[in-house]
Amino acid sequence: MRGSRIAIGNLLLWLLALISTVATAQDRARDGEWPTYAADLAGTRYRPLDQINASNFNKLEVAWRFKTDSLGNRPEYKLEGTPLMVNGVLYATAGSRRAIVALDAATGELLWVHGEHEGARGAAAPRQLSGRGLAYWSSGKGGEERILYITPGYRLISLDAKTGALISSFGDHGAVDLKLNDDQTFLPDLTTGEVGFQSAPVVANDVVIVGAAFREGFTPKSMRNNKGYVRGFDVRTGKRLWIFHTIPKKGEFGYDTWLNGSAEYTGNTGMWTQLSVDRELGLAYLPIESPTGDFYGGHRPGNDLFGETLVCVDLKTGERKWHYQLVHHPLWDMDISSAPILADIMVNGKPVKAVAQPTKQGFLYVFDRVTGKPVWPIDERPVEKGNTPGEWYSPTQPFPSKPPAYSRNGVSIDDLIDFTPALREQATKIVSKYHLGPVFTPPVMSQIDGPLATLTLGTAGGGTNWPGASYDPETHILYAFACNACLTPLGLVQAPKEVSDMNYVAGTAGQKVQMRTGPGENSGADSPLPSRSRQAPPAAGGGGTYGPLNIDGLPLIKPPYGTITAINLDKGEIVWQIAHGETPDLVRNHPALKGLNIPRTGQTTYNIGTLITKTLVIAGDGQVTTTEEHPRGAMLRAYDKATGKEVGAVYLPAQQSGSPMTYMLNGKQYIVVAVSGGAYSGEYIAFTLPSQDE
Amino acid sequence: MNRVNIRIAAAALLVIALMALGVASAALQAQNETEKPAQTAAPSGARSVWDGVYTEDQAKRGEPLCNAECTFCHGVKLTGGESAPPLVGGEFLSNWNGLTLGALFERIRLTMPQDTPSRLSRQQKADILAYILSINKFPAGKAELQQKTELLKEIKFEANKPKE
Repeated sequence: MRGSRIAIGNLLLWLLALISTVATAQDRARDGEWPTYAADLAGTRYRPLDQINASNFNKLEVAWRFKTDSLGNRPEYKLEGTPLMVNGVLYATAGSRRAIVALDAATGELLWVHGEHEGARGAAAPRQLSGRGLAYWSSGKGGEERILYITPGYRLISLDAKTGALISSFGDHGAVDLKLNDDQTFLPDLTTGEVGFQSAPVVANDVVIVGAAFREGFTPKSMRNNKGYVRGFDVRTGKRLWIFHTIPKKGEFGYDTWLNGSAEYTGNTGMWTQLSVDRELGLAYLPIESPTGDFYGGHRPGNDLFGETLVCVDLKTGERKWHYQLVHHPLWDMDISSAPILADIMVNGKPVKAVAQPTKQGFLYVFDRVTGKPVWPIDERPVEKGNTPGEWYSPTQPFPSKPPAYSRNGVSIDDLIDFTPALREQATKIVSKYHLGPVFTPPVMSQIDGPLATLTLGTAGGGTNWPGASYDPETHILYAFACNACLTPLGLVQAPKEVSDMNYVAGTAGQKVQMRTGPGENSGADSPLPSRSRQAPPAAGGGGTYGPLNIDGLPLIKPPYGTITAINLDKGEIVWQIAHGETPDLVRNHPALKGLNIPRTGQTTYNIGTLITKTLVIAGDGQVTTTEEHPRGAMLRAYDKATGKEVGAVYLPAQQSGSPMTYMLNGKQYIVVAVSGGAYSGEYIAFTLPSQDE
Repeated sequence: MNRVNIRIAAAALLVIALMALGVASAALQAQNETEKPAQTAAPSGARSVWDGVYTEDQAKRGEPLCNAECTFCHGVKLTGGESAPPLVGGEFLSNWNGLTLGALFERIRLTMPQDTPSRLSRQQKADILAYILSINKFPAGKAELQQKTELLKEIKFEANKPKE
């Protein structure tokens, strides 16, 4: 009897050991995979890998490359995807078709392709080209595996991850038409009705969450537009589980923050970027964008919930749990542009399940992600009131007390170029025609004699954009890339009735109003669409571009032009900040700066994502340069994540245009990054160490 | 083979080997003297954008075309838009420095304007390129811009005027 009890005891112990070994092996395997757009559902872009480190980063070699030219009817020059890697297969969006490709993750060999031909509907899409990514779902170890993505024509597709075949039991033969069942009728019709998407859907606990995107909001055709609700679908069947009305319907909470019933006709206010999910808590965190009319809100008086608001909803039901509006009555195109980051931190000795939201305005808003309470006080402070006729202004705006702003918002003389006193004087003269002020200085009516506009930083292209920030869960440090010199003039002009029915749109006095297109609009594989016609007359159009404000090509704003900032989330403090990106050629070689020793300036690009590993912060340059160290190209850089010191760099033939990712496969670590731009069409490049140097 | 023959054969082999070595070393030396860093652009001695590769009349033809087709995305003064880079100034020059006019022309020919690249003819696109060269202050010349891509690839795009 005793003997058998011992035997059973031993057996149990053995089983336990076996289970924990298997579990650890599974954890390790998972650590080496990249199963969702941002590495994990918390949005960290972090993997605890260190085979590639400071001692060998410079030795990285190209393992394989994949051009996306043939995935569509024309090559693509805006490849923004971050691939996924699961079970040795790399999945990515690619090309002007926004096809899905599955590659052998070790060799880059093409395993299968899937593309949706959407005809007129695809051609009319406001967000085209290959987009930013896709989602993977599995029913469990050894079970079904699927790939899900959203097409330019706004359909949710489910594919067999092994073969690329459509899952016939999902939606209508593998597709859910997202223009249907959205609690609204898309106008003017299903084919051309404006709504689309270019980010990756998110799958968590068998729910697929889908947002909505529109054209750029500088010059809307109308104060009326389709609305960008957020929905959750069953991942197996495509059945709609819930919908969250980002613009409340009558009777719903927040409806009265749109005065004069303006919630009825105002649109946009979608979620065009990535969201994050806490599976244990069963909560999803939705970053919402701007309402119709980025810079004029006279047709939508009131605070406009849930525009530019972080909303926490139940993952299974979509029920709102809490929300925090970052900008009241939005007027600066400060749409929340990236995934909120879920971080378990220690504040004043107490553990906090936090959510940290990076933004264009350079503020990091940190909340308790269970209750929605700010971790550090966020003060409502009075801001300048504008005088655009018919406009409604919020008397105050929220200002986080901690951490300090990590990139410039607002413009002052002190922000201007100062390589030499002469340049500073020239710049001062140029900006004398503009209205300057701190963050939340309102846009102004553009006048020929001045002010031409309000000069702004930390609005449309400023701060952190769609690539978002990254987070190290071991050290509680958040890393955010930011454009620190992306200048946007915000001037308003009256729009001719044939251009827009809004009172005012973005523009410059004396110049004809020019309609602004959506990213990649009319350049996808289903374009051109013969019926689409230009709205504005072809003569000189106006306003709202980044370009015109410079001195002989030199940026009007002083360096650093682009930065990576490390922020300690336990303390709410900036640990280090560096300029990221080689000094642009035009600055380095400028005759006016001859003889000056100018430290690296970084670059004014807004679309750089960072990757965090056990020891490194990794990001590529957003512009190409030609230097003594490298021929025309960009560098993929590695920084010591503790200090920000650059510890290595490898050559890229073109600028980073999609955020990098990493994985382990067969004992080797890989880094994959998308490059494209200018003369170089889209390509995924995979790096790994030479075999003998592991 | 007797011993003498073997020695002769060995000596002959040695001589041949030494000669081969000498030739190889001479070749190596020659290679080292003439070796240039890898170039992706036109062969040395080819023309550049500083050699008057378009005419003023052509640029004048290109101006209204460009205003109609390019300013929509690239900005009223071609200084850039939200997703479209500038076509004039330092950033534009940096973007194309070291490449060839052929590469720039192909980019325009195949993908611009974004909605319907086929709307404009090769001639029209060459005229637009001539206009873009003119606003970037590259000198005009006596002959119009080539239309054939393979010929345009012979013309190097240099941001800075090469030293005489």
